[in-house]
Amino acid sequence: MTTERPSLEAAVVIVGAGPAGLACGLRLAQLLDEHREREPRLPAKDSIFILEKGRETGAHLLSGAVLDPSALDRLLPGWRERAPIEAAVADDAAFFLTSRRALRFPITPPPLRNHGNYVVSLNRLGKWLGEQVEAAGLTIFTATAGARLLFGERHAVIGVRTDDKGVDRRGERKANFEPGYDLKTPLVVLAEGPRGSLTKQLLGRLGLAGPNPQLYALGVKEIWSVPAGRMPPGRVWHTMGWPVPRSMYGGGWIYGLAGHRVSLGLVTGLEYHDPGADPHVLFQRFKTHPFVRRILAGGEMIRYGAKTVPMGGYYSQPPAAGAGWMLIGDAAGLVNSQRLKGIHLAIHSGMLAAEAIFDSWRTGDPAAVARTYPERVAAGAIRRELWTVRNFHQGFERGLFAGLLNGAAQMLTGGRGWRDPMLARAGHLRMQKLQAAPRHDWSLQPDEQLTFSKITDVYHSGTRHEEDQPPHLIIHDTDICNTRCIVEYGNPCQHFCPAQVYEMLPAEDGTKRIHVNASNCVHCKTCDIQDPYEIITWVPPEGGGGPNYEGM
Amino acid sequence: MRILVCVKQVPAKDAPIKVAGDGAWIREDVAYETNEPDAYALEEALRQREAHGGEVVALTVGPARAAQVLREALAKGADRAIHVAGDDAHRLDSYAAAEAIARAIAGEKFDLIFTGLQSEDYGYGQTGVVLAELLGIAHATIIMQVQPAAGGVRVKRELENGYFQYLNLPLPAVLTIQSGINKLRYATLMGIKQAKSKPLATVALADLGVSPSLNRQSVAKLYVPVKTKKTELLEGPAKEVAAQLAARLKNDLRVI
Ligand SMILES: Cc1cc2nc3c(=O)[nH]c(=O)nc-3n(C[C@H](O)[C@H](O)[C@H](O)COP(=O)(O)OP(=O)(O)OC[C@H]3O[C@@H](n4cnc5c(N)ncnc54)[C@H](O)[C@@H]3O)c2cc1C
Repeated sequence: MTTERPSLEAAVVIVGAGPAGLACGLRLAQLLDEHREREPRLPAKDSIFILEKGRETGAHLLSGAVLDPSALDRLLPGWRERAPIEAAVADDAAFFLTSRRALRFPITPPPLRNHGNYVVSLNRLGKWLGEQVEAAGLTIFTATAGARLLFGERHAVIGVRTDDKGVDRRGERKANFEPGYDLKTPLVVLAEGPRGSLTKQLLGRLGLAGPNPQLYALGVKEIWSVPAGRMPPGRVWHTMGWPVPRSMYGGGWIYGLAGHRVSLGLVTGLEYHDPGADPHVLFQRFKTHPFVRRILAGGEMIRYGAKTVPMGGYYSQPPAAGAGWMLIGDAAGLVNSQRLKGIHLAIHSGMLAAEAIFDSWRTGDPAAVARTYPERVAAGAIRRELWTVRNFHQGFERGLFAGLLNGAAQMLTGGRGWRDPMLARAGHLRMQKLQAAPRHDWSLQPDEQLTFSKITDVYHSGTRHEEDQPPHLIIHDTDICNTRCIVEYGNPCQHFCPAQVYEMLPAEDGTKRIHVNASNCVHCKTCDIQDPYEIITWVPPEGGGGPNYEGM
Repeated sequence: MRILVCVKQVPAKDAPIKVAGDGAWIREDVAYETNEPDAYALEEALRQREAHGGEVVALTVGPARAAQVLREALAKGADRAIHVAGDDAHRLDSYAAAEAIARAIAGEKFDLIFTGLQSEDYGYGQTGVVLAELLGIAHATIIMQVQPAAGGVRVKRELENGYFQYLNLPLPAVLTIQSGINKLRYATLMGIKQAKSKPLATVALADLGVSPSLNRQSVAKLYVPVKTKKTELLEGPAKEVAAQLAARLKNDLRVI
């Protein structure tokens, strides 16, 4: 059935209202305000479209988060007085955990020093930034996903199609069907965060990647309300070691928030060998360590969530722009994995993109951004920061100690280390088959007080989807799940998914079959990244569906 | 037809709610959304306007964050909106909220006023009814259908046990709308775009002389019910057990 689609012309379409997309929009509005009077031919603000799949701006934003203020200082001078900040970082420390003890590093390793930074909730900061964007006269189209890119001649991007609404599970129109719009535009800015669905469509079609594939980690997080005095606001603690097996990359965080709340979580590298690995279980165990348990005892879990982070760094960055498209923030792989920080780089890159776009409007040469934006990134703070840690994350392929040693070598050599570039294999290729893989114990008996099942946790993520809609987790061949993967890898999707989306359920004939609980999905994208056969594709569900990361 | 739709912002029901320290209300750090029956009330108003012409005005009483439900209403097609705003607006009881609405629309004339059947937070189901009383106009509750009729409207009300009642009401009137009476529309891109330029008036609760001190009722205590599970084994011949079970379900648990 062909669909009559409404279509609109846009000067630029920004896909994703995270820190990157919001900074890009806001900077464009600022530049337009500064120059409008003298240059009346510049595009109107209502020709700038920002699309966000979450119900509200910020609904899908989850981060640690310790914020490096450098970018916001440039974007919104005076933001410290107005933005929602949990606390200025008051003290920081790093610990090495054994199963019973916590050994404090005598000095906090420099990358984990956070003096001058701020503890924030990215959800709240994003919501606030969204208000600034709206106040500057732009519109954020929430509950609206970019569903696919529109291509013109020679693979140039010429627009974005937004999601159809009111389609049932068989693909038929419901009474309230609303077709998605075709937004025709000379320029699409992809700010989708890690493993964006349009970004994947684009890079796949054009066959683009950095020297290394992107490497990812999955962060699993909870917010707790705890008795007064447990973790003062602005205290920032990082941990290494237990419960993460030494062959794996991972580490924990505990940050003191305002109002006797604590942000804590565990980041697990999606590049492990054991197909049974379960990042959610690791995080639950982390809380049972006496060091963590002491902080949480008598408290109450308030919210849960999980999200991936691109960790590959400089050599995993795909080209940042091309004909009709630009990548900013996590979509461009701009995360400093040594410091686990990406918010400031997302904002920086959004601003640079805006400045490049604005210049192209003035010179009347929209195609120029494909050259000028990557130049701006290469010339400034982003490259400076990422270049010195360009070989950091790759070092962890051989486990924790090799990684730390490599990290030290790089610090001495300005990032060069022993090999430069240090190459890496994609994480899903490192997963080993059941017979060959090292096996760890991944069992967990949640007590539902301190430790929780995935189901309880998902309930605390506020996740909701329209039930009657086409599947948004597309398994291209379920026979592979039911016959091959089950014997070769034991269906790792059941384990790596932090939201119990994937289950192997007994069928009538006694075999087990894959079952997808799509409405549990918290949009972390781990399945799209980590499935060893690469047969799962994550596409945006009907706009507005997904988690509700209030306070995350 | 000029229709006022009262919409309330309530805590989203997609995540567990935690009681705040003072034991009188919930922790504020939750996500919020439009009260579900109010969304149906808005949809019904939009359909009435599409069928018979007129104007749809959305109104909410709530703190600053509640403006979100008005923006959504505008994006779906309401012509303008009124935000009766105050930091403690969410602490008003039904009576005080109805006072606030009545005073906020004092200069206006509406043919119909829609509210949701009840709010999903307190669930009193009173605001619309009290509002009709304060305005001295007719009202009907649990509305399933609205049609124009000579001198007013004909409505279908839902009663218990699958019974319905049909009534004629003179205008103006307040109708409290039941969830599910229509199919909710989505806000379109164009709708969201146009909403930006529609009028959204803000009236301060304090300027209307309304505050929680007008409340006629106060919340003594709020708590999350403790789940208790009790298992009882009924023993004996199947027939007797069945009879016992039926009696228990009917008399003790009152579920049949
Ligand atoms: C567990 C964890 C801890 C972290 N800790 C820190 C920290 O302490 N400090 C720090 O600086 N950084 C930290 N980061 C990294 C930081 O959060 C990211 O680098 C940053 O959020 C990237 O911003 P972004 O705007 O590029 O993408 P995102 O923040 O991911 O935002 C992307 C937005 O786009 C939307 N979107 C995606 N696809 C579509 C689509 N197709 N259509 C419409 N909308 C779409 C999403 O819903 C989302 O709102 C952490 C990350 C994680 C996961």
